[in-house]
Amino acid sequence: MNNPESLIRTGLPKGHGKDLAVRVLLAAGTYLIVIIAALLFCKIIKDGAPVLFTTKAPYVDLGFLLDKNETLHVFDDAQGQRHQLPASKYSEYVKHHAGATIYNEQTFSYSGGGIIGPIVGTVLLTVGSMVLALFFGVSAAIYLSEYARQSPFIHAVRLAILNLAGIPSIVFGLFGFSVFVLAVPVITSTPADRSLLILPLFFGDAVLSFQGWNSSLMAGCATLACMILPVIITASEESLRAVPQGFRDAALAMGATRWQAIRTCVLPFSIPGILTSSLLAITRVAGETAPIMFTAAVAAKDDLPWQALANPFDLLASQVQALPYHIYTLAARIPASEYTQRAQYGSVFVFLILVASLSFGSMLLRAKLRSKLKW
Amino acid sequence: MSKTDEVPHRFSKQGFSLEKAIRFFFASNAGLTIVILVLIIAFLLKEGLGFFPGYRRELEVYRIAGLEFVDLSRSNLTAHEQLSSVLNRAYFAQINGLCASELKRSQEAAAVFNAYSERSAATHDLIVSNLDAGIAPDSEMLATLRQNHAASTRKALAELPATPHLTRAERAALIQSIATREVSSKDDPPLVTALAAQYAAAQQTHAEPLAGLRGTLDAFDAAGTDLSALVSEMTVAVTATKEAIQAGDVLEKNRTTLVAAAAHAKTPAAREKLLADAQTSLAAKTDIDGPMQALMLRKPACIAAHADLRQACAGILDGLPAALSQPEAERLLRVARKAIPAFMANLEQAPQRIGQWRHDTPVPLTAAIGSFLTGKDWVTGGEWQDFYGILPLLVGSLMISLVALCLAIPAGVGAAIYVNQFASRLEQAVIKPVIEFIQAIPSVVLGFIGILVFGSVLRDISQFDSLAWVPGFPIEERLNIFTAGCLLALMSIPTIFTLAEDALNNVPAAYAEASDALGASRIQTSFRVIIPAAFSGILAAVLLGLGRVIGETMVVLLVAGNRIKIPDFSSGIGAFLQPSHTLTGIIAQELGEVPLGSVHYRALFVVGILLFAIVLGINATAHKFVSRSRH
Repeated sequence: MNNPESLIRTGLPKGHGKDLAVRVLLAAGTYLIVIIAALLFCKIIKDGAPVLFTTKAPYVDLGFLLDKNETLHVFDDAQGQRHQLPASKYSEYVKHHAGATIYNEQTFSYSGGGIIGPIVGTVLLTVGSMVLALFFGVSAAIYLSEYARQSPFIHAVRLAILNLAGIPSIVFGLFGFSVFVLAVPVITSTPADRSLLILPLFFGDAVLSFQGWNSSLMAGCATLACMILPVIITASEESLRAVPQGFRDAALAMGATRWQAIRTCVLPFSIPGILTSSLLAITRVAGETAPIMFTAAVAAKDDLPWQALANPFDLLASQVQALPYHIYTLAARIPASEYTQRAQYGSVFVFLILVASLSFGSMLLRAKLRSKLKW
Repeated sequence: MSKTDEVPHRFSKQGFSLEKAIRFFFASNAGLTIVILVLIIAFLLKEGLGFFPGYRRELEVYRIAGLEFVDLSRSNLTAHEQLSSVLNRAYFAQINGLCASELKRSQEAAAVFNAYSERSAATHDLIVSNLDAGIAPDSEMLATLRQNHAASTRKALAELPATPHLTRAERAALIQSIATREVSSKDDPPLVTALAAQYAAAQQTHAEPLAGLRGTLDAFDAAGTDLSALVSEMTVAVTATKEAIQAGDVLEKNRTTLVAAAAHAKTPAAREKLLADAQTSLAAKTDIDGPMQALMLRKPACIAAHADLRQACAGILDGLPAALSQPEAERLLRVARKAIPAFMANLEQAPQRIGQWRHDTPVPLTAAIGSFLTGKDWVTGGEWQDFYGILPLLVGSLMISLVALCLAIPAGVGAAIYVNQFASRLEQAVIKPVIEFIQAIPSVVLGFIGILVFGSVLRDISQFDSLAWVPGFPIEERLNIFTAGCLLALMSIPTIFTLAEDALNNVPAAYAEASDALGASRIQTSFRVIIPAAFSGILAAVLLGLGRVIGETMVVLLVAGNRIKIPDFSSGIGAFLQPSHTLTGIIAQELGEVPLGSVHYRALFVVGILLFAIVLGINATAHKFVSRSRH
């Protein structure tokens, strides 16, 4: 430091060269991380942006965003022209050019068409799990910050939150699979053989059967909600505690009950903070693959979630495609080739934009909030 | 407001009020976290604990059907095959090393031709298939196709691989012969053929002085024939016994289920029917003694075959040359020499173990637990016998974490120290968000980058001759422990960075001021005062990073290579460049495919329990350090 007295006494600090060397070394390491991160983004943007954006108006390839996912057919026609068509267009082509020979045909699963199915599935999973997690998480946080006093129960709750936060996502996958897919109760008239327990309900022939929800949207949402719950509780409790104690005291002094004080003088001021930090939780929920692999996600699906349903509740009981699982499928299950790159980098690019905008939005909101709310 | 005016709430007499109900509602939500944690533990245990009895039964069947007896011989047979393969590789490495120049020239010429063929295949095949279909050679369509082919040929010839070992004239001649090649021609270009012939001739010349070694190797190869025939003969017999026992088990299980159902049956008629079904499902006692006696009769033959093998093995020690001139051959020879004593010892013990083996030695539950915890094989879905040994997965997980931590600790902690102690405000404003942003990258995206970009880049780098001194280079598999470790390091850097920076921030300002007042330089203050004060916080950051790395699934599933085998440490640090499988990866990969309730399914839950325990242990230790750093 520029301590003037030490400069007067000893001149420049000893070991100035060593000092500099250490600083440069540390700086180099730090900027290396930054550069690696930047390279990573550049690579994805370089290969992914051309898929989504076009040079012609409207500058965005809406087909990639809005078409259903299909198998890609690559083939040459008799003129030596190479075609890349998704399955539906391919069958049209074949119908149109009846009798024409097709050469060098190759098919690539999941690589044709667009990614509307995975996008919609991810949105449904995210919304569903966030609704669940926010409801239970904020309620729990209200108890922890407003009602709780030191007690063995509170100690146990805090220990549980701490431990839940550390559990690997694949263990949540196992948990979701064995509980929500295979064991939670449903009301049905035809219980499955593997049902753990069947309770009579005394109306019609319906019984309460502990046979699980199968791999479905609601099983996935419940699993993800359990995973994100500790994050939501911790963040919400922090924003509730940030509301000055005086607000509560004033309300109570006016004769409000505790719940009235919370409802009118604490919650309104902490909601911006809760929502900001839950944006970060959304990025995590949207990005997780392991918990939904066995509880909700499916690699290929012809219809969008709300199509071809007997009744609206079937939406919750049906499997969905999901963007992270789609990327996993594209990366692991199909051979890499120049024809699959569009689907691969395009999906990753869209996914990253989604996650980045959420995370960036949360950062901005947090900065804004900090400057605005000062008590 | 006077008290007498107040109307008592209608619930208040029962000690119940809306306020209390609200309070109870919030409390029950807080209690939900405990419920979830208890459910997780309960269901993991419920599915997992059934594994050990089931696995014990499988091991018991393995023994009483005689599979274990066959494996006593088979393990030695496999070792013999491996040793023989190493020696043969040494032999060919020696020859190929001696004619390295011919080999390279031949390979380069072939590579040029292959590159061309690959790139022009589409247009070329079109012409050929049209000609075969009987289209007139002078038709307009074929003219277009020929033009297309000429264009793709030109394009392919412009991007041929380098040929450092061919002379310029040779390369030109090769390109010329490719360019003027007939479409219908099926022959290789003359230079490719000639170089291949030269290489074959050189091989012949160099093989002659090694004829003695060849003879020894052939004799050694042949020594395994007897044992091999015996093993395959016995395999057929014991597999049949095993299937019979398993079929009996299934029948017995059906019967128990039916009898249990009969006990709960509502009407006597239904009960009678279930009991009758149970009767038909009564398993005939599987005959294991007959096949077992037949198997035991083979003991002398097995022992004799082992004796032959031992003799051949002793013979080869004398027959091997003292040294080989080519480095790769010499290395392989050394590997073989190192393996021989252990192999000999095994062969010597074999007759005794075969002689003493009994099919009715009981298999206790501890054997199943021991086999799970210390087993070196995780073999599932095979026809022979499933083994659930955790070691290959555990070792894979630990090695990947080690690589990740070795990279992430210096980077993450270093960056935290730099940002907290030395960086200007502007730098802080840039670096912090970027590193926090890395945290938001979903792990499946990192895995994707690893599988499509990083793995290939790393392998290409390792191909440079100037880097051949690095152990394990050139890399054989592009997806390996090191690749996965690098990506996981990137993933855990934000965790370590953020928490370590917090820990540094929490050091009271008075420490720095006091140190400064004593005349310490900036760097002395940082490294002698602030970092030691924040040490336990930094340690906690590292531990939490480790917890994240071990529990991460998608990156390792995509990038670690998924080979279920303990890496071969004989190549030293190069073991880190081999593919591997992990605790998390195996669950993600196999859970979707196993039948519910099977032993395999339960084994995955036991892996989950282990993972849960490891991560919880790490996190608990970390939080101990955190609370210590706060006081």
